[in-house]
Amino acid sequence: MNQERIRNFSIIAHIDHGKSTLADRMLELTKAVDAREMKNQLLDNMDLERERGITIKLNAVKLNYHYHENDYILNLIDTPGHVDFSYEVSRSLAACEGAVLVVDAAQGIEAQTLANLYLALEMDLTIIPVINKIDLPNADIPKVKEELKNILGFKEEDIILCSGKTGEGVDLLLQEIVNRINPPKNNTEKPLRALIFDSYFDSYKGVVALVKIVDGKLSLKDNIKMMANGKSYEVVELGIHTPKEKKLKELVSGEVGYIAASIKDIQAVEVGDTITLENHPAINPLSGYKKMKPMVYSGIFPVEPNKYEALKDALEKLKLNDAALTFESETSDALGFGFRVGFLGLLHMDIINSRIEREFNLEIIATSPNVIYKITKTNNEIIYIDSPNKMPNATYIKTIEEPFIYTNIIVPSDYIGSIMELCQNKRGIYKSLEYIDEARVNIHYEIPLAEIVYDFFDKLKSTTKGYASFDYEIKGYEISNLVKMDVLLNGNIIDALSNIVHKDFAYKRGKQIVEKLKNIIPRQMFQVPIQASIGSKIIARENISAMKKNVLAKCYGGDITRKRKLLEKQKEGKKKMKMLGNVEVPKEAFLSILKEEEN
Amino acid sequence: MSNKKGVYIHIPFCKTICSYCDFCKTFYNERWVKKYLLKLKDEIEDIYMNEEIDTIYIGGGTPSVLNPKRLEELFLIIKLFNTPHLKEFTFECNLNDLSKELLEFLKQNGVNRLSIGVQSFNSEKLKYMGRNHDFIIAKEKINLCRQMGFSNINIDFIYGFSCEDVKIMKKDLYQILKLKPDHISTYSLIIEDNTLLKIKDYKRIDEDLDADMYEEIKNILKKKHYNHYEISNFALKGKESIHNLKYWHNEEYYGFGLSASGYVDKIRYTNTLSLTKYLNGEISSKKEILSMKDIMDNHVMLGLRLTKGINIEEFFQIFKVKLENVYPIKPLIKNNDLIVKKGNIFINPDKLYIMNEILLKMI
Repeated sequence: MNQERIRNFSIIAHIDHGKSTLADRMLELTKAVDAREMKNQLLDNMDLERERGITIKLNAVKLNYHYHENDYILNLIDTPGHVDFSYEVSRSLAACEGAVLVVDAAQGIEAQTLANLYLALEMDLTIIPVINKIDLPNADIPKVKEELKNILGFKEEDIILCSGKTGEGVDLLLQEIVNRINPPKNNTEKPLRALIFDSYFDSYKGVVALVKIVDGKLSLKDNIKMMANGKSYEVVELGIHTPKEKKLKELVSGEVGYIAASIKDIQAVEVGDTITLENHPAINPLSGYKKMKPMVYSGIFPVEPNKYEALKDALEKLKLNDAALTFESETSDALGFGFRVGFLGLLHMDIINSRIEREFNLEIIATSPNVIYKITKTNNEIIYIDSPNKMPNATYIKTIEEPFIYTNIIVPSDYIGSIMELCQNKRGIYKSLEYIDEARVNIHYEIPLAEIVYDFFDKLKSTTKGYASFDYEIKGYEISNLVKMDVLLNGNIIDALSNIVHKDFAYKRGKQIVEKLKNIIPRQMFQVPIQASIGSKIIARENISAMKKNVLAKCYGGDITRKRKLLEKQKEGKKKMKMLGNVEVPKEAFLSILKEEEN
Repeated sequence: MSNKKGVYIHIPFCKTICSYCDFCKTFYNERWVKKYLLKLKDEIEDIYMNEEIDTIYIGGGTPSVLNPKRLEELFLIIKLFNTPHLKEFTFECNLNDLSKELLEFLKQNGVNRLSIGVQSFNSEKLKYMGRNHDFIIAKEKINLCRQMGFSNINIDFIYGFSCEDVKIMKKDLYQILKLKPDHISTYSLIIEDNTLLKIKDYKRIDEDLDADMYEEIKNILKKKHYNHYEISNFALKGKESIHNLKYWHNEEYYGFGLSASGYVDKIRYTNTLSLTKYLNGEISSKKEILSMKDIMDNHVMLGLRLTKGINIEEFFQIFKVKLENVYPIKPLIKNNDLIVKKGNIFINPDKLYIMNEILLKMI
């Protein structure tokens, strides 16, 4: 295929602005799928993605499009919309020459519209602005047009109106993709350089890498080399997604496809790495991506201690196409052997935990997440800790610093007051406020990331009835007055419940945590005190009173089998509990301390 | 302990339906009763192996709703059993059904124990239960039973309604005690599925108050010389229910009639709950063949309901294995959850109301 006839593009949007639906229509219009195969959010393979209506993993499909007597190949590389996954967005964009920026006709520009647009502009992509959902009764096209013109600087004539739901304007959009986005450069003669932008594990094929051929060409049976680690393999299968897998003999410069090379070692394929040919290698690898560092850490432990190896295997497989996921082994006195896992954010954590439970059928306990703290010791040594339990004794600490973020909070101006109150309560420092139009503002605060991890999203949603959109960038570390708070059950410190809090908020948090645990931990045969402490000082206490009744109060001839089943059911319930010392604790307890009670 | 089997017969007919009752029952209907008794006879003739029976318990439902003709038919059926040394023959009665004629009939036919579902005299509790009776009439009826020669009378007592506090419960229990029953079965209200209370989303009292009431009941009945022999059962000396003890001793018994359960030849079975099916002769519903471990677990679960507990030597005689080799009882004894005394092992009386927690550590 002539490079002139290839277009590589992504669709970028704020969450819920209709990106996946629009992609579905493109697939239909180009007959990539039959109507009978069509189901909503076709590119979202994971059940989890369909259920939550979000895109987590990116995906690439080839669309055949006939326009002006010519056949074109449009490679659509899907992107996730959530802030946690902006890393994935940048990976997709690196494989493209252009991006379709989708804005909801009723909602207008939102926080991630801006964030994703900036990512695309950084990569020098051609942007096609699209106002989507124009069929909505509350669509306000003139207003959204004004926003695109005034805030983002697009020209009126460049804006395309369409509806992913009805299909209106989608054909025009495909035409404009051909017209405006540049074809990939024709570098077929150069030595092979293929960018790995994603990978996954297939139990038959081994590791499958999704690649964009930047230079040269790749054929079946070629011997390839990973430029990062020098490992070599023979290509046993290559092809494209249409969206079903279609095997081909070769992939050439500008094309996007998959390759399998009987790679069993999942560590060998690094996303962002460059593949070249062993006997005709390129000199320099492609620049890859800006690596995203995990921002949030949490302990993950198998409920059944003998599932440690299975959990390790699950994390390794997930890491394969989720380069941002990191983990190392961790031992907890309370929970045994497990892992300290690093995530991009809370949604990422939530998704990974669900995937471990669903795709690998493992029951896990996740401890409350925390950020990385920077500690300067009294001997001026600097350490970074990703777990409260790695915090040195207070006498050796000179300063503790924590990461702060800079917010974009876009809300209707009616909510300015409540947003400010919320941010202030989260130790935020006011920076500035911009009007997007007369009714909406973008509010900038600097807030400790730890507060965002705590319950900021929930609070933001409830105080603005869901009207706020939120995005942030990391500002850097600043000194804070922080302390480690321990939680004691029946007099024993439970390491998995320790957390780091701001001193001024410690009493309130301590009180909340012990109250919360009191409600979650069931009564035991004896009274159980729950305490929160800083060092040796107890700052909060509650008691779980002893259980008074658990008996099959009546049991006669007809009841025996039934009562025995009742007992067995109780026994099953007990199995789901974790023994901490002699106290039975439900696994929810470890995460629940995170969420404040709704007042 | 005896090695002879007991017999339970279920009469699933009632004139009124009580709000808390989840037993299998239906409104009284003369035509169905007639048919039912025919099927009951078939079932017994079919299954009963003619071994000696030494206890019979006729429960319900409300067996006392049967009219004289049907009663006669029922007792003809009971003659099928081989009972040369019948020790206990219980008949469940509704207070309002107790008449001279009925009692005379029961007496003549060998019934030597009456179980009367009084439950309460508190008007508010009775209202919630969907029942209605008053103390003066109850007193007269019980006196009548005594006059007719019944010297073993059980009265059921319910507690734990939300309108109830310890004071109200105590007053109610003292009323019951005035009737001088030989045996009292207490029953802490459970909101069972498929009961009127459940449908009305009735809330019961919390577990602390429940446990306080239970303690109070134990204290009062102890003072009145009732032997607390099973979690929910109290008896004057020698009046412990021989039939019910078969259940708790994990001994075998027949169950006949709609929804009845039995335990025969290591099989626990339950008859169908559907009256239509029963009348069509589709009697059997669930059957469970027990493994040795199942039998042991039941032996422990049931035996520990008794305040005297399980005889350790007897356990070994039955199962040819030591109790301590099957169940981790040592830490439980050390923790004072279980107590060993005079060759028996039993639940610490202070922990009887949380005995499931202890069972869960064993089975």
